[in-house]
Amino acid sequence: MNPEVHVPGWEWYYVAMYFFIGGVSAGAYFIGSLAELFGGERHREISRTGFYIAFPLILLTPPLLIADLGRPERFWHLLFHAKSGFPYLNFQSPLSVGSWALLLFGAMAFLSFIDNLVAEGRLQSVPFARAYSRMPRKWYAVVGSLAGFFVAGYTGVILNVTARPFWAATDPLIGALFIASGASTGAAAIYLVMAWRKKIAAAGLPGLDRFDRLAKVLELVLAVAVVLLAGRWAAPLLRGSSAVMFWGGAVLLGTLVPLAAGWYLPRAAEGAALPERWATVLAVLVLVGGALLRISLVHAGQVQ
Amino acid sequence: MPKGMFVDTSICTGCKACQVACKEWNGLPHEPGHFRFDPVEKRPVAVNFTGDSYDNTGDLSAADWRHVRFIEQFSEDRARSRARWLFSSDSCKHCNDAGCLNACPTGAIVRTDLGNVTVQQDVCIGCKYCIPSCPYGVISLSEASGTVRKCTLCNDRIHNGLGTACAKACPTGSISFGEVAGLKAAADRRLAQLKGLGHADANLYGYKEAGGLNVFYLFLDRPQVYGQPETVVVPQKRLPVSSAVTVVGALALGAAAMVSFRERGSREEDEEVKK
Ligand code: SF4
Repeated sequence: MNPEVHVPGWEWYYVAMYFFIGGVSAGAYFIGSLAELFGGERHREISRTGFYIAFPLILLTPPLLIADLGRPERFWHLLFHAKSGFPYLNFQSPLSVGSWALLLFGAMAFLSFIDNLVAEGRLQSVPFARAYSRMPRKWYAVVGSLAGFFVAGYTGVILNVTARPFWAATDPLIGALFIASGASTGAAAIYLVMAWRKKIAAAGLPGLDRFDRLAKVLELVLAVAVVLLAGRWAAPLLRGSSAVMFWGGAVLLGTLVPLAAGWYLPRAAEGAALPERWATVLAVLVLVGGALLRISLVHAGQVQ
Repeated sequence: MPKGMFVDTSICTGCKACQVACKEWNGLPHEPGHFRFDPVEKRPVAVNFTGDSYDNTGDLSAADWRHVRFIEQFSEDRARSRARWLFSSDSCKHCNDAGCLNACPTGAIVRTDLGNVTVQQDVCIGCKYCIPSCPYGVISLSEASGTVRKCTLCNDRIHNGLGTACAKACPTGSISFGEVAGLKAAADRRLAQLKGLGHADANLYGYKEAGGLNVFYLFLDRPQVYGQPETVVVPQKRLPVSSAVTVVGALALGAAAMVSFRERGSREEDEEVKK
C-alpha cells in the first residue's frame, strides 16, 4: 500500500454529513419496508414513521453532495453524459451507480411519503395514486428495502474501493458497518419521531427494539473488526481526533451505552420498557454516534 | 499503437529541464502555497514546499505534472563509498488499468487512441473520487479550475506527430518517448547492459503493474526507494468482494428484521407483558 496516494479533500461537513443523513434516511426506510414485509399490521406505525422520515431527510442530501464538488453547476454530469446527453452509468464506479441508486431511492421515498399522507387521510386526491397503490405492497417493500440498503451501504464501498491506505486496508467492511449504523440510527430516528407524534404506545415497539439491538451488536462487532483489519494503518483510529470520535462517539455513544442502558434501565425501573425520557436521550446519543462514525472514518482515510 | 515514455533513471542528472518544459508547454501555473502559522518562525509558512532539499515541489499536483525526485542516500557517517544520489523524473504512468479512469462517474477521464489517459476539463465536475483511486498519487484537484488535472502525455503534441515536451527537453535522454513496444525493447537492452556493469539491483518497473504502465521506469534500487509501490492493486479489483460483503451485511440485517418483526414473536411478548 502506498501512503503517497493523494487525499481527495472531502470535507466532513459535506461528505461525512451526506453519508450520515443518507444513512439515517435509508435506515429508516428499510426498517419501514422490513417491518411492512415481516411485521404486518402490528408494525404499521413503525413503517409509516420510517416512510415519513426517509423522504424529507433524503431531500437534504443532494445539496451537501453538490456543495463538495469542485464545479457544483455541473452536477448533472453524474447522470447524463456531458457530451452526448445520454444517461451515463459506470459500473466500476460506486459513485456513479450510487448516484442512480440515490435517484431511485428518492423516487421510492417520495411515493411512500405520499402514500402515507393518503393513508392517514391528510391528502385527498393525488394524481396516479391509484396506479401505484394497485402495486402489491409487499413487492413495493421488497424494492424499497433493496434501495434503502444500497443507499446506506454504497458510501462505505466508495471509501473501501480506493487506494488510500486506511480505506483500502479496511476493505471490505465499511459498507456493512455503514448499513448496520444506518439501521441503528434509522431506528433511533423512528423512535424520536414516534415519541414526538405521541405514538409510543403503539404496538410493535418491542419488535423495533429487538431489531435495533441486533443491529447495534452487528455494528459493534464490525467497528472492532475494522480496527483489527486496518492493522498497521489503524493509527488514525488509535490517537488524535478521529480516535476520540470513533471510540467515544461511534462505539461508546452509538452502541455500548445504548446496549448497556437497554439492558439495565428497564430492570432498574421495574417496568417492562425503557422509561420514555431515557429512551429519548439514548436515541439522540445514537444519532450523534452515527454522525461521528462517518466523520471519523472519512477523516481517518485523509490524514497524511 | 500505444505511445508512452521510458524513464531511465540511471542517466537522470536531476536538472529539472523536464519539469520546466512541462510547465511551459502546458501553461501550468505556480503551485499555490498553503500557509500555516509556524510557532517557531512566528509567521505563516507555506507547508507544501519542501525547503530542505533540491526537490522543490516534493510531489505531483494539479500544477506540477512532472516531479524530479531527489533520493539522497548518505550513511550516518557520510562515508563516501556509500554515498549515492538517485534521481527519478516522475509523472502520470498512463496505466493500462487506470484506477482514476475506472473511478470516474462522469466519463470525464478517457483513454485516447494512443493509449494515454486524459481528463476532459469541460466534463469533470470535481467530485474528487479519482484522486484516492490513483494508486500512484498522481491526479489532483486544481483549486483554480475546480477540476482534476494531471499529465496528458502531451495529448496535443502526440496527436500531431510530436513527442512529449519533457522527453524533448531532457538533455541526457533519460526520458524517451515512442511506441511502448519499441521502448520496452530498448529498456530490456539497457537493463542487460547495466546488469553487466555490476548494477545487480537494477530493475524495470511498470511491465505488469496496473495492467502495464505506458510510462515505465528503470530503477537502480528497489522501486520503494523511488516512492513507487511494489505491489499495486488497482482499487476496482476489490469492488466485487467489497460489494459482496456489503450485501451479506444487508442480508444479516434482513434476517434480524425477520426474527424481530415476526408476528409470532410479538404475540409471545405481549403475553409476557400481560403476565
Ligand atoms: S498513474 Fe494515476 S492518474 Fe495516471 S493513469 Fe494511472 S491511475 Fe490515472
